[in-house]
Amino acid sequence: MSLTSLPVSAGGRRTPSPRKRVPGEPRSVAYLYILPALLIYAAFVFFPFVHSIYLSFFEGNGITRMEFVGIDNYVDIVRNPILRSAFVHALELIVFYSFLPIAIGLLLASALHRSRIRGVAFYRTALFLPYVIAPTAIAVIWRWILAPRGPLNSFLEAIGLGFLAQPWLGDFTWALPSVGLVGTWIMFGLVLALLLAGVQKIPTELYEAARLDGAGPWMEFRAVTLPGLRYELVVALVLTVTAALRNFDIIYVMTSGGPGNATVVPSYLVYQQAFKVSQIGAAAAMGTALILVIIAVNLLISRAGRAD
Amino acid sequence: MPQRVAFDDVSVTYPGMDSAAVSHLDLEVAEGEFLVLVGPSGCGKSTSLRAVAGLEPVSDGRILIGERDVTKVAAKDRDVAMVFQNYALYPHMTVAENMGFALKIAKTPKDEIRRRVAEAAKLLDLEDYLERRPKALSGGQRQRVAMGRAIVREPQVFLMDEPLSNLDAKLRVQTRTQIATLQRRIGTTTIYVTHDQVEAMTMGDRVAVLADGILQQVASPDDLYREPANAFVASFIGSPSMNLVDVPVVDGGVDLGGLVVPVERAVLAKASSDRVLLGVRPENLRIADDGAALTVDLVEALGADTFVYGTLQTPAGPVTLVARTQPSVRPALGSTIHVRPESCYVFSPDGTQDRLT
Repeated sequence: MSLTSLPVSAGGRRTPSPRKRVPGEPRSVAYLYILPALLIYAAFVFFPFVHSIYLSFFEGNGITRMEFVGIDNYVDIVRNPILRSAFVHALELIVFYSFLPIAIGLLLASALHRSRIRGVAFYRTALFLPYVIAPTAIAVIWRWILAPRGPLNSFLEAIGLGFLAQPWLGDFTWALPSVGLVGTWIMFGLVLALLLAGVQKIPTELYEAARLDGAGPWMEFRAVTLPGLRYELVVALVLTVTAALRNFDIIYVMTSGGPGNATVVPSYLVYQQAFKVSQIGAAAAMGTALILVIIAVNLLISRAGRAD
Repeated sequence: MPQRVAFDDVSVTYPGMDSAAVSHLDLEVAEGEFLVLVGPSGCGKSTSLRAVAGLEPVSDGRILIGERDVTKVAAKDRDVAMVFQNYALYPHMTVAENMGFALKIAKTPKDEIRRRVAEAAKLLDLEDYLERRPKALSGGQRQRVAMGRAIVREPQVFLMDEPLSNLDAKLRVQTRTQIATLQRRIGTTTIYVTHDQVEAMTMGDRVAVLADGILQQVASPDDLYREPANAFVASFIGSPSMNLVDVPVVDGGVDLGGLVVPVERAVLAKASSDRVLLGVRPENLRIADDGAALTVDLVEALGADTFVYGTLQTPAGPVTLVARTQPSVRPALGSTIHVRPESCYVFSPDGTQDRLT
C-alpha cells in the first residue's frame, strides 16, 4: 500500500515527482530519521531496564560471579518487613503528594473561580515555584526548618506552643508525615495551576444552568466542576502519584530513610542495596517491582479517567 | 401553574460601568404569555432576562414572579428554567440525565422523573436519543434537549436566551415554529430574547423593543409594525428597514427631494423645529411617473419581491431609499426613477424621536 500522494498538474492529471513525497517515504528513510533517538533510548533506557530485570533473578555484588536465585529477590520484598515497609511508606506518601494537594487544589480552584480575586496570576506563579526548584535544594531548606532547633520549633516556642515542638525528622511518628508535607508543598502549586486552567475552561453557562436547576454549591461542584476537571485530575494524579512512588531525593537529603527505617522508600532502598551493601540482584528486583507498581497504578488511574 | 412576571422599575448596572445596562424597566408579562425581548446587541435584553433568572443582581427596582418578590431570591430557588444560547448541557450526562437533573436535585421520586422525561422526550421527538451524550447529538437535537430540560421541570417561567442563534437558517425557521407551538400548548409564561426581528414578530404574543437599556415599546407584533412609538422601533421592525429621511417642513407638508409630501399641519406643529423625520416603509414607496427622483444603485430580485435601492439628493446630502416593487419592475442600474410615498410616518427629529402622526 502506498500512501504517497501525487501532485496534480494544471491539466488535472497526476504526475509523479521525486521531490514531492510524503515525508518519511520510503519507509527505510523514516527509520533512518528515528535511528539516533532510538539508539540513545535503547542504550540508556531500554537496555538497562531489561538488564536490571535480568539481574533481579540473581544474587551477588555485581563484581564476583552472580548466582541465579529465581524469584527469591521478589519473595523477599513481600516477606522482609523492611523491604515491604518501603512500599507501604510509598503508598502513605501518595496521600501527601497526591490526595492532599488535589483536595486543597480543588477547593481553591473552585473558590478562586467563584469569586474573582485580583492577582490570581501572581499567586499561581508563587505557588508553582516549589515545583520548579531543585528537590535537593528544597530538601535542604526543609531539613533546616524542621531541625530540632530550627525555625519551626523556635516559632512554636515563641508563640507559646513549645509543647508541640518535636525533633520532626527524628521522630518515628512524625518523620514520614513531615517529609510528606514537604511533598504536599511541592506538588500543590502544580496541581493548582492545572486545575485552575481546567476550571477556567468550563463554560460559565454550565454553572448558571446548574444553579437554575436548583443546585447549591456542593451540587454545582459535583455536577459541573468535578466532571469538567476530569482530564486535569487524571494528569494531576499521574504526575503526583508517580512522584510519590519514585520519591528519592527528598528522602535521601532529609532523613536517609531514618529514624530507623521509618521513612525508607523503594527508590532509597534500590540505592542503598546497590551502592551501600552491594546487593545488586536485590536492588534490581526492588527497582523492577517499583516500576511495575508505578505502571499498574497509572494504568488504573487512566482507566478510571476514561471510564464513563 | 403559569405565573405573571413583572419588572417593577428595574435597573441593572454592572460594576465599573457608568451607564446602566438596563434602566428603569417597567414591564409586565401576563400569565401564559409569550413575550419577546428584542433589540440590537448591547441593548440590555439578555441582562433583563438574566435578572429574572437571578443570574444578574438587580441594582434598583423589583422583580415579581406571580405575587412573589424574587428580587433577592437566589437563582436556584426561583423556579424558572432557562434555555441558553449554547444550550449548556452537562457534557458527562446522558440526554435523560440532563433533562431529569433538576428533578433529581429536587428529590423527585425516580419513577416520576422517568415518566416526565419520557413525556418531554416524546413531545420533542428525542425518544431515540435518551441514552446518548450531548456530544453525540446534532445542533438541533441539542437545542431540543435544552428545551426538554426546561419543560421537564414544569417551572413557573421559561426564559430563553437566543436559543436558535446556533442553528442554521433552515432549521432555525422550523424550530421557531415548533417552540411557538409548544409554548402555546404548555401555556407556561415565556420570556424570549432575540436580536432577530423576524423571530420576534413571528413568535411573540407581544414584543418588547429595547435600545440602550431603555424600553422603547411593548406591543403586539402587528401594532409594533403599524404604530411604532418612535423612529428606532420603526427602523428596527420590518425588513428591509423603514426609510427615514430628515426633511424640511414646507408649506402643505414636508419636502422629500423636491416632492412635497402632504402632512397635516397639526402634526407638524408638534415638532419643535422646522425639520422632521419622514418614515416610509419600502412597501409604501411606489414607483410613479413623477415624484422624488431616485438614482438606482442596486436591484435585489428575491422572486416574490424586488427591492430597489436608490440615492435621493436632499439639501442635507444624499440619502439611500429602498422601495419594494412588483417582481416584473426592474429598473436599470444608474437610471433615474420617481417614487411617491403612499403612506408615511412623521417622527420628531430630536431626543427620543417620538412618532408625531
